[in-house]
Amino acid sequence: MSILSPDRYITRADKSPAGRPDVRLVTWFFPVWYAAFGVIICLLARVTPPPRPDVSAADKVAFMTTHALTIQVGFVVLLILLGGAGMTNALVAYQMSRMSTGPVLAYAYIGGMGVGALPGFLLVSVCFLTATFRPDRDPELIGLLYDLGMLSYNGSLGCFSAAYLVLAIAVLYDKNEIFPKWFAYLSIWQIVTEVIATQMFVFPAGPFAWNGSISFWVAVVVFSVWLGSLIFILRNTAAREPVDTDETFQGPTAG
Amino acid sequence: MQILEQVQDLPKAGNIKAQWVCLWSGPAVGLVLLVALLAFPGFWPPISPTLPAEEVARFYAENTAWIRFSQVTFNLCGIMVVPFFMVIVAQMKRMHGQSHVFAYCYLTALVSGATFFALSNIFFLVAAFRPERDPELTMLLNDLAWIVFIAPIGMVLCQFLLLAVAVKFDHATDRNGAAAIFPRWVGHYSLVTGLAMIPSACAAVFQTGPLAWDGLLSFWLRNGAFAAFMIVMFFVLRTAVLRQAVDDGVIADPEARLGASATR
Repeated sequence: MSILSPDRYITRADKSPAGRPDVRLVTWFFPVWYAAFGVIICLLARVTPPPRPDVSAADKVAFMTTHALTIQVGFVVLLILLGGAGMTNALVAYQMSRMSTGPVLAYAYIGGMGVGALPGFLLVSVCFLTATFRPDRDPELIGLLYDLGMLSYNGSLGCFSAAYLVLAIAVLYDKNEIFPKWFAYLSIWQIVTEVIATQMFVFPAGPFAWNGSISFWVAVVVFSVWLGSLIFILRNTAAREPVDTDETFQGPTAG
Repeated sequence: MQILEQVQDLPKAGNIKAQWVCLWSGPAVGLVLLVALLAFPGFWPPISPTLPAEEVARFYAENTAWIRFSQVTFNLCGIMVVPFFMVIVAQMKRMHGQSHVFAYCYLTALVSGATFFALSNIFFLVAAFRPERDPELTMLLNDLAWIVFIAPIGMVLCQFLLLAVAVKFDHATDRNGAAAIFPRWVGHYSLVTGLAMIPSACAAVFQTGPLAWDGLLSFWLRNGAFAAFMIVMFFVLRTAVLRQAVDDGVIADPEARLGASATR
């Protein structure tokens, strides 16, 4: 439990935790939500690492029936928790709005990530849940739901790329040092993986397929580094945020 | 745009720079989307809704590469127009005599509308992923893609109406000498563009005629009006951001400089 003991927080001189209490709460929520999300997609719903694209309709039905219980448990929990994605994105947008670039890019980040919620997360949940709902359906139809779920989940690229792009621009232009500059370059690498991932729509097998070594595994490594860095950056920047000024609330009217 | 040295570290300069980048992302992304538009074989002419399933499946089998190229480009770059629209949001927030409520309504409408667009190219791409699929299913995906692409215009309609109302309110309170953010005609133009979107909702019902998804109203008027609006708004926004930059003292006033050289 040492990670939860008070001296693990960044504290001020009077031993109270640094930063605003509300921002601190959401900053703690961020890694907790991603941990739950990781358990759901990797261990329960089995969509990461993804099942193979190069299999017959009968194999897709077999996948759905073998993992029916965990898919249903995992995705039902995700249906309940999905709103947390909005909160994590809003936290990043909040920190972006504190940058000297102002709220424009923060809104664009909310926009890109907000678009991503439906094709990027929700569609695969309802596709897989519909497939496991009646596994005795025509195998061709199960195959369609499998393809649609996988391609929307792994292949919704532009919404996230747009968000990474505005994040990178905001961090590079920012004079308030809210996020470190190297994080902008890491975000650009995220865009690179999304561009490479476009090839999954062309190749049903091999390194560029949706489960391929380049399309998928390189993206997973970059994403893990990006997310891990973001968790620590958010924590540090939340701790550095001045508490007694209300300048962030004047921001929108000042423009 | 030359930002004055003495203000370049201030938030107001950062705000202008961010808007300027977002503004110019518009033509850059627009050019890429134009290439995708020209490359999609299903737009020249638009695939007829009356095509039988075998013909639809053959279309996907014969044009697989170009469909993939163009729709992947829409997938990757389509949502990158969002920053451009954020300049409209930022300028709406500066309008006089109103709270930010229209701007935030515009923002939410934009995000929901863009979600439909992001969904449509996934359907196109799933259809092109396995052209050998049962033709009935390829037709199902094709129908879904087209109906999701053309018909759900409620969100963009709201965007155009909100902008029109915001411009109207901005002008109504323009007695205190401050100039309106956008010229008055932008509001009327936005309203007309919004009205041009409405008929295409019927593309989800009609298979032939001007209201079908390949029809004059649902395809050409809707998409043409939208593209024209984006081009016009680029110039309107450019003027508005430049004026904001001058008003905030971020760049030198070009007219003042011209005046100074004329008197010399």
